Amino acid sequence: MLPANVEKILPLVQKPGRYTGGELNSVIKDKNSVDIRFAFCFPDTYEIGMSHLGMKILYSLANARDDTWCERVFAPWKDMEEQMRRKGIPLYGLESGDGIRDFDIIGFTLQYEMCYTNVLNMLDLSGLPVRSENRKSLTPLVIAGGPCVCNAEPLAPFIDIFLPGEGEEVINELIDLLKEYKKKGSSKEEFLIAAAQVKGIYVPSLYDVSYNEDFTIKKITPLKGAPERVEKRIISDLDKCFYPEKFVVPFLEVVHDRVTAEIFRGCIRGCRFCQAGFIYRPIREKNAQTINKQCKALCDSTGYDEISLCSLSTSDYTELTPLLSDMIKWTDSEKINIALPSLRVDNFPQELMKKLTGVRRSGLTFAPEAGTQRLRDAINKNITEDEVLSTARKAFSGGWTSVKLYFMQGLPTETLEDIEGIAVLAQKVVDEFYRNPDKPKGKSVSVSVSVSSFVPKPFTPFQWEPQDSAELLLKKQNHLRNCISTRKINLSFHKIPTISLEAVLARGDRRLADVIESAWRKGCSFDGWDDEFRFDLWKQAFEEAGISPEFYANRRREYDEILPWDHMDYGISKSFLINESKKANMSATSPHCREKCHACGASRLNGGVCHARGKNMV
Amino acid sequence: MRAVRIWYKKYGTAKFISHLDLYRCLCRAVRRAGIPLWYTEGFNPRPYLNILMALPLGQEADCEPVDIRIEGEMSDEEIAQRLNSVLPSGIEIVRAGTAECMANEIAYALYDISLAFESVNKAMDFAAEVSKLIESGELLAEKASKKGGKRVIKQINLCESIAKFNTTADNSIVSIKAVLSAGNTANLNPDLLTSAMEQALDIHSEYTNIVRRGLLKQDFSEFR
Repeated sequence: MLPANVEKILPLVQKPGRYTGGELNSVIKDKNSVDIRFAFCFPDTYEIGMSHLGMKILYSLANARDDTWCERVFAPWKDMEEQMRRKGIPLYGLESGDGIRDFDIIGFTLQYEMCYTNVLNMLDLSGLPVRSENRKSLTPLVIAGGPCVCNAEPLAPFIDIFLPGEGEEVINELIDLLKEYKKKGSSKEEFLIAAAQVKGIYVPSLYDVSYNEDFTIKKITPLKGAPERVEKRIISDLDKCFYPEKFVVPFLEVVHDRVTAEIFRGCIRGCRFCQAGFIYRPIREKNAQTINKQCKALCDSTGYDEISLCSLSTSDYTELTPLLSDMIKWTDSEKINIALPSLRVDNFPQELMKKLTGVRRSGLTFAPEAGTQRLRDAINKNITEDEVLSTARKAFSGGWTSVKLYFMQGLPTETLEDIEGIAVLAQKVVDEFYRNPDKPKGKSVSVSVSVSSFVPKPFTPFQWEPQDSAELLLKKQNHLRNCISTRKINLSFHKIPTISLEAVLARGDRRLADVIESAWRKGCSFDGWDDEFRFDLWKQAFEEAGISPEFYANRRREYDEILPWDHMDYGISKSFLINESKKANMSATSPHCREKCHACGASRLNGGVCHARGKNMV
Repeated sequence: MRAVRIWYKKYGTAKFISHLDLYRCLCRAVRRAGIPLWYTEGFNPRPYLNILMALPLGQEADCEPVDIRIEGEMSDEEIAQRLNSVLPSGIEIVRAGTAECMANEIAYALYDISLAFESVNKAMDFAAEVSKLIESGELLAEKASKKGGKRVIKQINLCESIAKFNTTADNSIVSIKAVLSAGNTANLNPDLLTSAMEQALDIHSEYTNIVRRGLLKQDFSEFR
């Protein structure tokens, strides 16, 4: 039910379908018959938010409760924001059209650091003060989850509660608790103190952070009975865990417009740059039968003709072959494609490829990440040049004429020689195409090389590492550009200022809150969008606050320094990360978790169970 | 294989669904409804589903034709009923049946255009002036088009594409019933017409609602 004044501004904005709601499977309830109204906010555009699996899960899960109505909210694009502000229309939930400031819970998912200004902007658009301390009443309670919560300190003054880890169980506990305290007429403070006792709930206002003279952290002190360390929540048994039978089917074409089936959580690979590879541990697999059943139900309820199997490394799923055999039995006749993203070049069985012949041929992408074997060893990306080339060879003989290669620059221990290695490897892939005897006549090969810049992240072995300065990154980019002489290789880079800011925010502390607020007040939003990113305004904001971004991005930390996220417990032990960090400096690899357990510590969160060591072993 | 022409209605906020989005929405609805759609036999098989006339974003419609082809047995009534049970609100199948006319026989479309003005006076002025304007036989507008791959701005006389035009005013609302050229050869989007009229008269409405009531053939008989 859109308010009439919204309908009048929609003809004036781009893609009005973003703001109408009314999609298939969206949930409409009677607002008078629920106790809790929950606004699930994705701080980016509709097309991105609607692609996000976590939102689909939690939306269905919250709406499965009779006492709760969960609605979706996305960041309106700038043209819509302008119209809303001009007409005094507050940010509304897509299902009811009601302003979210009157809701009980406003929940954000923090998928990437560059969305932080959007979080503030959305709070402001709904008519709420952005700072937690200025929102006096118990509701709306502003909460946030997602991977960035492993160090959400820069947002600490704005958010009432963070939910580190997986949300399926803790969100229900939180709703129950809020319902109880709301009924009792409790104050916000009483509620927060009680909530802090729940495992997986982090109340930032109950922690005092003091600093040394050099601005490093002196002490993080829990207050009012809050725990020393906040343990992230995990779901122990994915087969018993809630999974939606329906997805909201958007009218607009969104980024991932298909059925998504999660096949396992965690990753056995331990690539040292990859935060996801560490913060989602321990490994927990879902049974093939469960996945098959869930896919069928979702296809029936949505009408989608594509399924994507989702995980951090699809080919590491132990039941992949039986799963695909089961699925093909019905997907073939229903003309449904199965997409397998995140395959590794070293362990993807060829016979599987043949089974999937019905699948539409998309591009082929490899991620060697680094140009030389030495550097690939240092980052523990355990694939060899031979593996890349032999996969390319198979792809070319299968008729592919274009491949994409993903690399990173600015990795720890990187030298110019490693940068040159990127060009060399790309050239070898080109050569492989021309070596193929039955290459398609009259067709040229195109190798796209996409180079992003490394951002050190919390809870990785590289969390102590400095990021290369912007000047050095630029120098390396130019060097690589000069190393490539053929037009068959297309080179693209990520924008550097964005990457530098991401590095600041990723390992930032609470002092950055003022900078974020001031950048937002100056007009920053949608910082993740190259065209919208205003580096000049951010620079001003840093200068005015007297804070040097280099302190966060480009400084090497000592192993014994107290890190802003040291009171967060993601299972992974610091000694394990230090050990991995030391091995990286020696370019020594660590075999993957199925080959050898490195005692990272994550299985402690799951009663000692980690599926990398077999499903029944403890 | 059997060809079926289904007729859909689009209203409310569903009018903000674009042509391409509607195509995807209908394809999925057909799948959910379990209608045995015929797939093209090319390299990438696609369901055969053809929306005859694109409906511009933001306009409602009473009865718009879509051609599909099905394999196996299913009655027209069942197709319509199954689709209606799975379509999102704002999109409705009015009927299904056999196509009687060829797509290229579409020559005109009948529109109801209502313009809301901020005052009764403005509405009265607009209603009075606009009839004269159309009767004069000349209403120029600029239309972007492509010539040899290049974007060019063409000046066109909209009156040439107006077959019938009737205005009434009620309080601050001006209602226009218009039959405008439609189809592949000459097509006049009523959005272009209203903005050209507003510009020519320098009287601007606050809000416009456009409903396409139906499609007509060259002799103004109903396209079926």
